Amino acid sequence: MQTKFERGEPMSFLKTTLILCAGLALAACTDPGRFDGDNTVDLNGDNASGYGSGTASDPSSPAYFQQAVGDRVLFVIDTYTLTDIARNTLDGQARWLLANTDYQAVIEGHADEQGTREYNLALGARRANSVQEYLLSQGVPASRMRVVSYGKERPIEICSDESCYAQNRRAVTVISIGAGM
Amino acid sequence: MNTGNIISGIGHVALIGWALAGPLFRPTPKPFEVTQVTAVSEEEYAAIMNAQRPNDAPTQEVQQPEIQPTVQPDIAAPVVPDAPQESPALDSQADTAPQQQPAPETAQPAAPDATPVPVAPAPETQAQDTTPVLEPPAQDMAALIPQTSLRPKQRPVQRIAPEQVAPPEPDTAVDDVVRQEAAPAESADTPVEEQEATAPEEAATEIVTEAEEAAPVTPSPPTKSVRPKTRPTRTAAAPETQAAPSTPEPDADTGTASGIEDALAAALGGATSEPAQTSAPSGPPLTGGEKDALRLAVQSCWNTGSLSSDALKVTVTVAFDMAENAKPKTETIRLIDSAGGTSGAAQQAYEAARRAIIRCGARGFNLPVEKYASWKTVEMVFNPERMRIK
Amino acid sequence: MMYRLVTLLALIMATLSGMPAKAQDGPLRIEITEGVIEPMPFAVPEFVAGGAGGQVAADISNLIAADLAGTGLFRAIPSNAFISRVTSFSSPIQFADWKAVNAQALVTGAVDVDSAGKLVVRFRVWDVFAGQELGSGQQLVGTTDGWRRIAHKIADQVYSRITGEGGYFDSRVVFVSETGPKDKRAKRLAIMDYDGANVTYLTDSASLVLAPRFSPTGDRILYTSYETGFPRIYVLDVQSVSRRVLETQDGAMSFAPRFGPNGRNVVYSLTKGGNTDIYSMDINSGVSQRLTSAPSIETAPSYSPDGSQIVFQSDRTGTSQLYVMGANGGEARRISNGEGLYGTPVWSPRGDLIAFTKQSKRRFHIGVMRTDGSEERLLTASFLDEGPTWSPNGRVIMFTRETQGATGQANLYSVDITGRNLRRVPTAGGASDPAWSPLQ
Repeated sequence: MQTKFERGEPMSFLKTTLILCAGLALAACTDPGRFDGDNTVDLNGDNASGYGSGTASDPSSPAYFQQAVGDRVLFVIDTYTLTDIARNTLDGQARWLLANTDYQAVIEGHADEQGTREYNLALGARRANSVQEYLLSQGVPASRMRVVSYGKERPIEICSDESCYAQNRRAVTVISIGAGM
Repeated sequence: MNTGNIISGIGHVALIGWALAGPLFRPTPKPFEVTQVTAVSEEEYAAIMNAQRPNDAPTQEVQQPEIQPTVQPDIAAPVVPDAPQESPALDSQADTAPQQQPAPETAQPAAPDATPVPVAPAPETQAQDTTPVLEPPAQDMAALIPQTSLRPKQRPVQRIAPEQVAPPEPDTAVDDVVRQEAAPAESADTPVEEQEATAPEEAATEIVTEAEEAAPVTPSPPTKSVRPKTRPTRTAAAPETQAAPSTPEPDADTGTASGIEDALAAALGGATSEPAQTSAPSGPPLTGGEKDALRLAVQSCWNTGSLSSDALKVTVTVAFDMAENAKPKTETIRLIDSAGGTSGAAQQAYEAARRAIIRCGARGFNLPVEKYASWKTVEMVFNPERMRIK
Repeated sequence: MMYRLVTLLALIMATLSGMPAKAQDGPLRIEITEGVIEPMPFAVPEFVAGGAGGQVAADISNLIAADLAGTGLFRAIPSNAFISRVTSFSSPIQFADWKAVNAQALVTGAVDVDSAGKLVVRFRVWDVFAGQELGSGQQLVGTTDGWRRIAHKIADQVYSRITGEGGYFDSRVVFVSETGPKDKRAKRLAIMDYDGANVTYLTDSASLVLAPRFSPTGDRILYTSYETGFPRIYVLDVQSVSRRVLETQDGAMSFAPRFGPNGRNVVYSLTKGGNTDIYSMDINSGVSQRLTSAPSIETAPSYSPDGSQIVFQSDRTGTSQLYVMGANGGEARRISNGEGLYGTPVWSPRGDLIAFTKQSKRRFHIGVMRTDGSEERLLTASFLDEGPTWSPNGRVIMFTRETQGATGQANLYSVDITGRNLRRVPTAGGASDPAWSPLQ
């Protein structure tokens, strides 16, 4: 499954989404109706503004980063260690960031709604930090990265089941052009 | 402090001065405290805000908070209210009408047609002055372990009482004392006061918090006793223990000699260290049951629910005299001792005790008149230790 | 020892002698150890209105009754049960009439408008059964707009004269007003009276805001905002609605602020390199001090009312628990001992209890414990309860309750520290993160 994330291979949007889902989510795709009749999946509501240009077929576009490389990694409940799947995704992110040096990355850490507001802020920060450390280890300069935690404030899935929680326990790498951070 | 308050303050001081120098022959009014609660009107506030609003203030949808009025409790001196005010006298009639019941709504006597079905008296109305005891199912009587706990499921109710009380019949008025519905007497010569049947308000023995209420029901056998914890044991107050020395908590420091004396005195037939002072007709002493009845009667009116946690730390001893009709003489109720708290807290604790005595004594306690000498003067110790967190 | 022996002997003799033959002299002594806990019935007959005071007199009386009844410690007797009417503030009270409806406390009052257009409200509190006044009469003067405050102040007086502890009605609550669906929730700071009246918004909903906290005098509010896209702590002046950022450390997230009792020290969490620790800052000088340095999460700090200690949550043992340390850091001792996870501890204004959020078996609870962790009591249970805040008198806890599922919404609830009287605090939309002001 992991081999499907080959660099540079053009993929259709829907296909990419499904593969991402299969590769990352496991439990999350149990709802087959989720993508029915809708091929624009809002992967991270508030933070789509970073993807102004390009399409998924352009390997240097933010859309490609988001959809083909995968802009997010998921975590097991109350942990911040990277899974193998997550590391694989981050390898791809690191390669992309090293190839596209104009881009800056903000790594957002998130938690599911189980937990107090303050603790989840701290937990989200740990998750974002895990991603940053890994990208650093892969050669992405610290000056191009910044971390922020939203705790449980910005879920992407809103049910109160593990299927949603699994999607919400995430760190998302949001890229944007420019050095101003 | 703004100018208005200063002016107001000066005005009040002047008023006080006038009041003090003025009509001294007036009945002294009760002390009166004046507090200024000032508030700026919305327009005034908006004007202030427009003048000083920073440029980076939130957008238009941000409404300005209403200014919080500043309170100036500095003018706390007694002030003669503008109206020549007589101090409301203590109502000396208050106790002359203690018989007054929650009035029967309709003063219909025995109109046979009007009462369609005679209401059968509830079985527990036999006990005149005790609250009915809800018999919990005995744990060891259960032949089968049911799916749910045998422990009587307590619902969160408004009232916590020593004994659990089932919800009263729908049409009974809530009262502290269980009363049988007074049926119109057959021989209508003497009008019998018609009374509504009353029953104690529904009560649980402990506070049931949401956390406890919501605890998942496990099918396992009950682990706790089915007996409500706080059920008082009827035999606790045996006559012997009641005849104990009259100092509330014999303190080792108060002198061993008197302690020995008291103990011996108690042993020698109840003569206490206090000299005998009455020549009232003395009958036999109260039995344990009679004392219990009095204790239970006051208990059912001793409401600690509106006491602060400080007041709940104070044990107060209250003394009062009783009339021969077994009604407490309200004006004789006095605080004779308190332990465990500040004087302020003791005051609230005393007031709650006083209310209990007056309220539950309003119709007279159930005491044998032939033993009047034994209960002419009563000292009651109100110990809230067990009432703190229920 | 000798004394004990003699006493024992005496008791044995007493037992053997059976029923005493003689009547006892001296007072009959009875010990009462069991009582009832129930709301005390009270009556607030409509205050006597002089001149233009008509409607406001009714409003004030009703609000006093609502305040008292809302505590769960009192029960208002409906006015249609009243036997006597109070037509003059100075006429004697017909105690018998109030006894007959079982009103144990009675609040009488009068409302006038003085020549300057100010509202002048007088009141007295009565113990009906004792036929006595509790405390002494008092007069409050304010603008007609401020009638709610006057009523709250009177209710505070009545409450404190009967219970012996201060009230909490003349207080406010700052909270986060929430609108929109769960995944696009807009949050803004709002402030209101403790009972939900007089809502005013302090920020717009453009940026995420979290967990506002009052200063000890109620004049300033600390909160966390994502105004810059990054969580930082702000200090907002309530009167002027002006705010400034609390300069912590560049590039580090700061959140979970709380004032110390002196209104000058602020304790908060700061995250660096993924690690969250507790810091304090003198907000006048801007100098901050690091109080914890562990690789674990240390957050949600709260000062003791004397400022000497701080309670906080930490997962240093692997699960989140509560700890107490000195106000300057140092050794921390764990105080939570039960099963489950503990968070957001808040020291009570009386100093004797700590309220907290507990997560156990997939449910959330608000609970209280003594400051050494003993006598833990859970007061609530739901899908998600969190973030307790104390009423100024330490008697009531307000918190956030969020419902489950895709349509889940947050609301404010309050509960007495005995676990009784759970009720929703009315707010127009969703609401979370309440913080109670001191008594004004």
